[in-house]
Amino acid sequence: MGCSSSLPDRNSGRLSGLNSENSGATDAKNLRVKLVLLGDSGVGKSCIVLRFVRGQFDPTSKVTIGASFLSQTIALQDSTTVKFEIWDTAGQERYAALAPLYYRGASVAVVVYDITSPESFQKAQYWVKELQKHGSPDMVMALVGNKADLLENREVSDQDGMEYAEKNRMFFIETSAKTADNINQLFEEIAKRLPRPASS
Amino acid sequence: METATASSSSSPASISFYDFLDRMRNPASLDLVRSIKSFIVSFSFYAPNPESDGKRVQDFFLSMETSIRDHPLWAGASDEEIDCAMEGLEKYVMTKLFSRAFACCPDDLRIDQEIAEKISMLQTFLRPEHLDIPTILRSESSWLLAEKELGKINAHKAPREKLLCIMNCCRVINNLLLNASMSEKHVLAGADDFLPVLIYVTIKANPPQLHSNLKFIQLYRRQAKLTSEAAYYFTNLVSAKSFIVDLHAKSLSIDEIEFEENMQVAKLANKVPDEDPCPTRDGEDGLRRETGVGTFTAMNFKERSNSGLQYSFNNLFELAKMHMIVTGSPYPFMQAEARDLTVGDVERLLRLYKDVVDKYTNLCTAYRHLASSKLESGHFKGSTASCCYEQPETSVSRQREDGADI
Ligand SMILES: Nc1nc2c(ncn2[C@@H]2O[C@H](COP(=O)(O)OP(=O)(O)O)[C@@H](O)[C@H]2O)c(=O)[nH]1
Ligand SMILES: [Mg+2]
Repeated sequence: MGCSSSLPDRNSGRLSGLNSENSGATDAKNLRVKLVLLGDSGVGKSCIVLRFVRGQFDPTSKVTIGASFLSQTIALQDSTTVKFEIWDTAGQERYAALAPLYYRGASVAVVVYDITSPESFQKAQYWVKELQKHGSPDMVMALVGNKADLLENREVSDQDGMEYAEKNRMFFIETSAKTADNINQLFEEIAKRLPRPASS
Repeated sequence: METATASSSSSPASISFYDFLDRMRNPASLDLVRSIKSFIVSFSFYAPNPESDGKRVQDFFLSMETSIRDHPLWAGASDEEIDCAMEGLEKYVMTKLFSRAFACCPDDLRIDQEIAEKISMLQTFLRPEHLDIPTILRSESSWLLAEKELGKINAHKAPREKLLCIMNCCRVINNLLLNASMSEKHVLAGADDFLPVLIYVTIKANPPQLHSNLKFIQLYRRQAKLTSEAAYYFTNLVSAKSFIVDLHAKSLSIDEIEFEENMQVAKLANKVPDEDPCPTRDGEDGLRRETGVGTFTAMNFKERSNSGLQYSFNNLFELAKMHMIVTGSPYPFMQAEARDLTVGDVERLLRLYKDVVDKYTNLCTAYRHLASSKLESGHFKGSTASCCYEQPETSVSRQREDGADI
């Protein structure tokens, strides 16, 4: 019997569906994107997302306010909207091997490090390599240096972050979830970089 | 929370399923019924193959969605009404195809069994600190509730309802995390907190046929519905399963030697073919999960390790297969393809068919008898309202639904 025992890959040969999983574009004007967050524990992933999602009110949202899956819709200037479905991943080392299950089918990956921690920058580079090896090639990738408010403790220069991002064709930004600095910009810039379905 | 509205006994899903059946019984939908029936029948011409079966079913759902949208009976229907009809269709089709589509290859049964065995070994010694679960998140009552939700997964055949069990389990955990973050100084840690708790709950629950259930949902839940939040929580359970399958000493905060010793002891204690590989009918097994711990006493440990009767399920399966080869299967056409058959086979086929139907009918009668006597004597739990979330149907209505025809 032609039975395979592993979980089949949903995305193989099944892209014909009306709502394919990755960029589940409901139509050309309203995008729905899966965004996966990667980075060491403690770099500020949860804070970034809460900062982004809080303060904007979407009464029609039926999404449970769980701490690990959140969604937020933003409106762009060209009157299109982008609904980000944000997938948090467990940052502990023992779960590192599970990450591909989460970033499979994602249209955006946001890799976060803490500018006061060179180790977290190393870890970010590890994730970038993983994504290049196993992620979908048209995934939009962003490198985020968080905790930019802690200038006096900075150990990763913004030059280093920028250069690394450029070399790997990623979008780069430094943020502070504490002061809200650049948080909205991060998501707006990502939204602008998303491939658009051909509008009719 | 969105789900709190669905606590009444007649769940909206059940109502919409009956609504679906009603509409399908309307003479005007004869064309739809024909497509559905011929689709279901078409499966009996091929051997089960998860990949292509899944694709065929998904394609069928899509084409039926178009047909329903264009159908006079649904003229002017809202997207929600179409969606209800599609949920009804998914449930109807997958209930009919269940025995073929669920855990259909020996590999699936083997993997299910391996996972269940590993989990029951882990149950004998795993503690929350091995996964560094913060003390504030160690709530036996919440965990028990989450385990119960997950344990109900085999009580359902429809992919949507199986998925709902996973969602409900995850919601219980999320509530726990939210409460923890509100009551104490514990900051919301998102997935860092969620995943370890889900893994721990999964191990405590040892949900029946974990691998097969996940595979079934992945293949047969309507694709448009396995997205967003549902996809996220589903992926978390897939990832919990994967963590458990690959789990070794270094995956835990535990001394390596201590881990190996514990696993050895548990292996000896657990090596009995006591897990029922067949889907259970209701949620009553949800709490039977501590067996690994419960059955392990110094005495039966000694007995079992001395008896040499340590066959695993695999051995039994092999044995059964051997038996078939040696004695000859009573159903020789099981491996046959349609093109292999000749007119001369008809007589024998018919005789076998009658034989199978007789046996099946007797079995059903016996089963119904058993179920109803269980009901009377009050052992039929499983539909107690344990949780205010949207619940799939109770076992009684479910039996009616399983048999529903259009
Ligand atoms: N100063 C400062 N602290 C931050 C910032 N973002 C997060 N933190 C702190 O860093 C810690 C970890 O943040 P969290 O979002 O839980 O990290 P995660 O593990 O990546 O999700 C928390 O104590 C936060 O208060 C920031 O931008 N600036
Ligand atoms: Mg976090």
